[in-house]
Amino acid sequence: MENSNNQNNKITKKDLNKVFWRMQCLNFTNNFQSMQAIGFLSSFVPVLKRLYHDKPKEEKVNAMKRHLQFFNSHVNADALILGISAAVEETTSEDEKETVTAIKTGLMGPLAGIGDSVLKFTWLPICGSIGASLAFSGSILGPIIMFLMYNIVNVGTKYYGIHWGYSKGIELISGSGSNVLQRLSNMANVVGLTVIGALVASVVKVNIIAKISAGKNTIKFQDMFDKVMPGLFSLLVTIAVYQILKKTNGKHAPLLILSIMIISIVLTYLGVFG
Amino acid sequence: MINAILVSVWAGICALDDLGTQMIRRPLLISAVVGLLMGDLKDGLLIGATLEVMWMGVGNVGAYAAPDLISGSAIGTALGIASGGTATAVALAVPTSLLAQQLLILYRSGIVYLNPIMDRVAETGDFDKVFRINYIPMLLTFLIRAVPTFLAVYFGSGAIKSVVNALPKQVMTGLSVAGSIIPAVGIGLLMLMMMKKGELWVFFIAGFTLAVYLKLSVLPVTLISLPMALIYDYATQKANSAKDNSESDSKIVNEEEEYDL
Repeated sequence: MENSNNQNNKITKKDLNKVFWRMQCLNFTNNFQSMQAIGFLSSFVPVLKRLYHDKPKEEKVNAMKRHLQFFNSHVNADALILGISAAVEETTSEDEKETVTAIKTGLMGPLAGIGDSVLKFTWLPICGSIGASLAFSGSILGPIIMFLMYNIVNVGTKYYGIHWGYSKGIELISGSGSNVLQRLSNMANVVGLTVIGALVASVVKVNIIAKISAGKNTIKFQDMFDKVMPGLFSLLVTIAVYQILKKTNGKHAPLLILSIMIISIVLTYLGVFG
Repeated sequence: MINAILVSVWAGICALDDLGTQMIRRPLLISAVVGLLMGDLKDGLLIGATLEVMWMGVGNVGAYAAPDLISGSAIGTALGIASGGTATAVALAVPTSLLAQQLLILYRSGIVYLNPIMDRVAETGDFDKVFRINYIPMLLTFLIRAVPTFLAVYFGSGAIKSVVNALPKQVMTGLSVAGSIIPAVGIGLLMLMMMKKGELWVFFIAGFTLAVYLKLSVLPVTLISLPMALIYDYATQKANSAKDNSESDSKIVNEEEEYDL
């Protein structure tokens, strides 16, 4: 560890805030070849500038090339990785720089998974469904509340991700820290699935109007299902769709949606739905 | 005309947000503003809420190219309001999203050419030049959503109206039925991501039961699920640490045996 005592080469809070603002553009350059690499570098520049402003050109070029290697994670997780990378860049000497790449590459997969399961699959659906249920009743509060709920977390994780990543970076990812993230992801799955279960009841609405007339008695299919459990048919439809998706690894969702449209129209024609 | 311009500019702004700040990006927020611009907030909210639950788990998964919710929501909502109906909006939003998705794939393959440019910038060793590379894709991503939206809204509304009027009633009814079944796809995709262990099914069923029998909405269900999540976490922790303990116990035993030399 060769830490120059030169105060000019220490990353400041201001630099990290610059990273936060630049990070808002991280995904514009996301492409199929290097994914988020260009975005990562362009967000990371304030840090590199601070550390390399008095270094020879060759080292500057190497620093940039180092961060142009393939990189892809979840945008909110990127904040944490940017912060941690800043800490690692600051504490390594020029010939230890593989560490930076190694840590970045090691983090991007697991953190993307956690970012997805906590934010995209749990928090966003919760905000969306609360907002939507308000909007269904014609209240302008729906989108407003959804916007606030989601963005307190969205902007918060980005801002604090960078600062925490820098100050606590190393302990966050080694030892007990990684365990905490894993547990968070587990808990998010439980909350998410419970909420999704509730959503099935309120969102997937199937109304069967088909009935069989036998003499005086008419059997209504809807009533038959509802006697077993209200909303049972919705649950069965959802589980069926889930099984189809599971068989195809979720690749053919658009096709499935179009099929549902066609089947619905046909069954409405035949008088099953209405 | 004015409406078409306003909606397309809004779609462009949402496109910038989708790749940048990621603060809007969802149908409910996009459609509500479209409703505001078109002077029919109530319909905008209704269509937005319908699309929001319909696309609940869609457009979120990084692994596959998701339907383009932005163009779909903006165009669907604008034309739905113009030709009066949630069913129309849903019917239009789906194919539009799927078509616009192809444009996105083109865009993301196209900007591969930024990589060699960026490599050249890196060779100069000048940090100040780096950020400028973002301006090209910014412009592109704005246009790629704004232009199709403008064309669709400007030329589409008349055509859509006559098509909707010509269709038999069952088709429109069928489409609204589809609109209330399609959320199952989004929910299914979410389940696919979260159902990491078979035992997690019980939480899914519990959530469903709370909503069906107690008529609870999402917020109370979320709050009830928190203690369940905590208990589940502690239980799995205990199981894991028990394993660890037994392992470390055997380690200690091994060490003691070594000391017996």
